[in-house]
Amino acid sequence: MNLRRIAAVASKEWRETTRDRMFFLLAFLLPILWMVVFGYGLVLDVESIPFAVVDRDRSALSRDYLYHFFESRYFSFQGYLPSENEADVMLQSSKIRAAIIVPEKFGERLLDGQPVSIQTLIDGTFPLRTDITKGYVIAINSAFSEEQLVAYFSRRAGISRAQAEAQVRPIKLEVRYLYNEEVRSTWSIVPALVMFALMVSSPLLTALGIVREKETGSIYNIYSSTVTRIEFLAGKLLPYVLISSVNAVVLWIMATLWFGVPFKGDAPFFLLASLVFVLSSTGIGLLVSLLVRTQIAALIITIIVSMVPTILYSGLIVPVSSLSTGSQLQAHLFPGMYYTNIVRGAFLKGVGPEVLWVDVLALALYAAVLQIIGYRLFTKRPRS
Amino acid sequence: MNSVLGPRSQRAVIWWRRLVVMTRKEMLQLFRDIPIMLFLVYSFTLGVYIIGSGLRSQLHNASLAVYDADHSFSSRDLIHKFRAPFFRLEGEIADSQEGLRWLDRGKAMAVLEIPARFHEQLVAGEPTAVQLLVDTTNSPQGLSAAGYAARIVARFGQETALARVGSSEESSQNLPIIVSDHRVWYNPDQNETWFESISHLLRQITIFAILLPAAALVREKERGTVEQLLVSPLTPFQIMVSKVLAMTVVILCATAVGLFGIMQPVFGVPIKGSIVLFFALTALFVFTTAGMGLAAATLTRNQAQVGMMTLLVVAPMLLLSGLTAPMEVMPAWVRHLMALSPLRYFIEITHGILLKGAGLRVLGDSILAMAILGGALFGFSMWRFRRQFE
Repeated sequence: MNLRRIAAVASKEWRETTRDRMFFLLAFLLPILWMVVFGYGLVLDVESIPFAVVDRDRSALSRDYLYHFFESRYFSFQGYLPSENEADVMLQSSKIRAAIIVPEKFGERLLDGQPVSIQTLIDGTFPLRTDITKGYVIAINSAFSEEQLVAYFSRRAGISRAQAEAQVRPIKLEVRYLYNEEVRSTWSIVPALVMFALMVSSPLLTALGIVREKETGSIYNIYSSTVTRIEFLAGKLLPYVLISSVNAVVLWIMATLWFGVPFKGDAPFFLLASLVFVLSSTGIGLLVSLLVRTQIAALIITIIVSMVPTILYSGLIVPVSSLSTGSQLQAHLFPGMYYTNIVRGAFLKGVGPEVLWVDVLALALYAAVLQIIGYRLFTKRPRS
Repeated sequence: MNSVLGPRSQRAVIWWRRLVVMTRKEMLQLFRDIPIMLFLVYSFTLGVYIIGSGLRSQLHNASLAVYDADHSFSSRDLIHKFRAPFFRLEGEIADSQEGLRWLDRGKAMAVLEIPARFHEQLVAGEPTAVQLLVDTTNSPQGLSAAGYAARIVARFGQETALARVGSSEESSQNLPIIVSDHRVWYNPDQNETWFESISHLLRQITIFAILLPAAALVREKERGTVEQLLVSPLTPFQIMVSKVLAMTVVILCATAVGLFGIMQPVFGVPIKGSIVLFFALTALFVFTTAGMGLAAATLTRNQAQVGMMTLLVVAPMLLLSGLTAPMEVMPAWVRHLMALSPLRYFIEITHGILLKGAGLRVLGDSILAMAILGGALFGFSMWRFRRQFE
């Protein structure tokens, strides 16, 4: 291995990259733009669900009940409807996602001490939203039930409201949110975006850089030169690892200074772990580039291989523990998941190598395996 | 040429033949790229199956650690209520410090702490409290976990309270409470495989529809073969549309394979509306999305540039169009920005036709918006393309 030859390949690659102004610019701009768009735009809290009401009772108590929904930030009231048929039409055209139907004699029955059944029609096309809507409706229903019970007991037994309340709700649940005490969506999404941006942009940069030579045929210069396989691959990867590392630092600075996400962990450790991650994500690009001949194939395959699993399996949105066993296995096959643990751990939890060494080790193994496969696959004697 | 036809129809026939020949050329070029074809087949069959069967967007199996200082009948009863599908009991811990360590290491997502004398207080009718520590590094999931826990504890408390009251004077049937009665429409069993497999199908269509024509057009520019095409009798319109036509045919076939080969037989995804309408609108969607790819292609010089450019656009399309979180919860500026994303309309259309059985009347707005967007993108690309080469 000759360091000067590596430097020569690297500087050739670097010039080629920097001279393509638009490509060079996009390589740095892409992560930054994504960070801004997703950091502000990717909101995962389901709020302001549009709903409508069919109120068959129109009593003081039914208005009192519905007021809980009007007041809630989780629901957004779209209007009263005369009957269920109108609710059907509104649901089908996606104007509303839920309809609440208050039956006749709602107030009368409750005051009489009898249970009432409230029907809710919910749009089931988006399971997450359906589930959350159901949860909010149940929460409001049980809160209202409790109010009614408290009033009923204090009336019946002649005890004070506080006593009645203790009877109705004997156990309180005290919730403490850790690591993100105010439960800000930004704090949990922005560190994960560092992972997303690096995981999706680095492989493409690398893959395009190498396949470009294969497609235009300039790789024959390498085949006939004295540069060895390992020197070529090292020199080729170096500029892209450098660009991605710079991006990692820029994203880290954006997350902390611009979005104000606390960084509680150990900075040198985090940067080192990021470097290992960059080596494994560029490794994916390297592997793809060695398996295809055309840039169009490299483009499609890299995007599918890097973007789809990163959206689905990296823990960006759905925690890995929620997935089925088969999907968990897949999640462990992509580097994104390990780095998500590292970023969230280093930013919000403030844990260091004592906890995260497993993830760093997994990434290092991943990078090593990819680079070795890449080395094995690359040959200076092209078949046919 | 058939002499029965007038000169004008003859010209039309030739025009069409040229388009067909060019479309065939694009298809041949695509079919000969074996890695792409392998990936196309994988993405629309096995990929749809794996993701449809394995992915869950709702909270499942949140790992829970329990610190039970009471070890009584009631505490065990309460712990027992934290179960699948929402929670998975990871184990009992000896003290609260260990709970924090489990959270740090990500071994547990939540820790439930039950105080000593829990059972005693409950039986005596004294108020008591249990504590839940929740990891909110993933905030929506943390909130969900807390919400489920609150529901479980409230129900447990109400049951205990009503049992006590009920044994003394009245049965719970005679209390002024609200019984929640839900009807989930369009997917009554809450089958997540429907949503996830449809979402994945739409993601794949989007990726292929934007990338294939974009790269195919830039490749001609990069290699200079576009000059050959321009000196031929082909019009710029024919050069561009033939690429889109070829990719549309291929993507439609792949969609049919995914829908009829995997989603319908394996997952039981319903097709309530018109299947002809669905494929017609899929074609329109591919056209519109391809228009986006072509626009990117006319702004760039080589495939590396167009790759980065389309990636820049594809990621927000996939994440913000309404597949990861519903459109109505997005901030207003995202909703306005996503008016430019054809996928946003196509999600509405696909859910409408397949799950809701909606027809043209209900989907009219979405179709019109998509068509206008597609027309505008094509117009822009044509204008750029002509300006560059004529």
